[in-house]
Amino acid sequence: MRIEVMIELLTPRKLVVRIILAAGALAVVMFICSLVGTESVSLKAVFGAADEEAPVNPDYEIFVRVRLPRIILATIVGGALACSGVVFQALLRNPLADPYILGISSGCGLGATIVVISGLNWTLWGRSPIAVFAFAGALGTVWLVWFVGRLTGKFHVTGLLLAGVVINAFFSAVIMFLTSIAKAEHVYATIFWLMGNMTEEDFLTLWLGAGFVVGGTTVLFYISPQLNALSFGEEDAKSMGINTARTRTIAFGVAAAITAIAVSLSGLIGFVGLVIPHGVRLVFGPDHRQLLPLSGIVGAIFLVVADTVARIIVAPAQLPVGVVTAIVGGPFFLVLLVKYSRKVSWLK
Amino acid sequence: MSGIIEVENLSFSYTPQSIILKDVSFEVMPGTFLAIAGPNGAGKSTLLNLLCGSLVPKSGTIKIDAAPVESYSTEALAGKVAVVRQEFVPVFGFTVIEMVLMARTLYYGPMGFERKADKEIAVEALEMTDTIQFASRPLGNLSGGERQRVFIARALAQDTAILLLDEPTSFLDLKHQVGIYDLLKTAQVERGKTIVTVTHDINLAAQYCDETLLLEGPASCLSIGGLQNESRAHSNYHIGKTKDVFSTEQIEKVFGVRTFAGRIGQEKFFIPLGKFAKDSRQIANKPDSSQQK
Repeated sequence: MRIEVMIELLTPRKLVVRIILAAGALAVVMFICSLVGTESVSLKAVFGAADEEAPVNPDYEIFVRVRLPRIILATIVGGALACSGVVFQALLRNPLADPYILGISSGCGLGATIVVISGLNWTLWGRSPIAVFAFAGALGTVWLVWFVGRLTGKFHVTGLLLAGVVINAFFSAVIMFLTSIAKAEHVYATIFWLMGNMTEEDFLTLWLGAGFVVGGTTVLFYISPQLNALSFGEEDAKSMGINTARTRTIAFGVAAAITAIAVSLSGLIGFVGLVIPHGVRLVFGPDHRQLLPLSGIVGAIFLVVADTVARIIVAPAQLPVGVVTAIVGGPFFLVLLVKYSRKVSWLK
Repeated sequence: MSGIIEVENLSFSYTPQSIILKDVSFEVMPGTFLAIAGPNGAGKSTLLNLLCGSLVPKSGTIKIDAAPVESYSTEALAGKVAVVRQEFVPVFGFTVIEMVLMARTLYYGPMGFERKADKEIAVEALEMTDTIQFASRPLGNLSGGERQRVFIARALAQDTAILLLDEPTSFLDLKHQVGIYDLLKTAQVERGKTIVTVTHDINLAAQYCDETLLLEGPASCLSIGGLQNESRAHSNYHIGKTKDVFSTEQIEKVFGVRTFAGRIGQEKFFIPLGKFAKDSRQIANKPDSSQQK
């Protein structure tokens, strides 16, 4: 006689329903936020544009050329940062990890600083050199950290983290040195960029970025069962038959790449990659098959809302969105933490 | 389902100066319960890591079911050997059933989800280890004994012929120590598993394990020094039926501790005698009481 025990497990059906619900919520949020701003936009006027003979339809211009790109950008960046936050926390088995922990922040900051200070003004495929250098700096730094971490012998989480901390500190020092010898307006431009900013982008860049981020996230989702096993450590995962070296390389590579894309599009936006994975994990549990897609969507929602707040709160001026994410995200996270901490043993 | 382990002339050292294992050869037949015992630093855990392919031998071979360990892919080896390790990193609050199901990751469907059969195997493993009532609880909320049983459940869910354990009863109270060994014995008898466990508890080993590999440790190896090792190559470990391997003389030689030996039925038991043990000198000076019978 077998005792039937109620065991709640994540099923593909449950997952799909939750993803659809979350994506629906994201669509609603994007729609609402696109209507909010210092100028009121009427949808009728936006799509009624074709009838009129007016040379410029201000509603259309604001909606399509200013707000829509910005909202799409926030969606991409928020999703990318939250997903890579999930991956870094899983791989480093460290709840304090975020997408920037292995030096991406200082790497891209250094790239951007060099461009601003040297006054380069060429463009590459329509992208400013800041974005290009930030992207290269971010990936280069992750590679360097990875390389140094490997020198410590076998893949070692502590070695990797320490390498990240040291290289972060070193590059930050270089950034400080460069800004201290730079002209005032260059310093201001650098700092503003480092604070994270959603400037309007052209659609081609946006679609490219979105393509890479969605593609990368799909790859990460594909290896999420392996990430679950890796949470119990290298040796344990291996004895369960996980090809840990391959999983780690793919996960690190993809997470670093989508983070680099995010930072090159929008500068350094903190907190999303740390808070969103935690929040989603606290509510829905640690299973990466669910955690990854839901974090991506929730991260997108969060950043779209945060950017809307940044646009309107001190209008006509604009706040850097990084300020809003930290100010909104911090207390929000504390509430979650207190409310759910009884559910999670590793916080004890 | 077989589960033969053959070790031939196995040597291992982390650094050239200190040889941990020297020319070790033994065989574990299917369905055998083997204990690996010996003092700290004797290479017990090292040997276990060699058996599961985490470490690579410096020389000699380890064969699992007639093929060298290193010839298996990670996936294939996980189908043969399951490991229960000592250290536990509590991360991210996975529930018991979620963790046990991870042992089935290899067999997940294309969508990355467990099949019905995987769930049945996991539930069966939880039932066998008497942990099914914790299924939905986070792993970190369990006591040490419960958690150890869950880790054994995960290893059982891997459905392998061979089960390796690294000190499964350290930190557990008497009841749970016995519980774990009862469970392992059940797995051996009912499932025909080959079980190899590293242990410090010679009495549990004496009670449950068919055979024992007693490692003497590098100290004796080093004291002889250099090339002369060769002549005493086989003298730094003992393998055989558990009751033959353990004796007061052997234990004193290997562990440097005097013991008082007693007998219950067929099995010998040993009480270690420390410096302050009452009348320890007197007892220890007596001939081995087990030999008197």
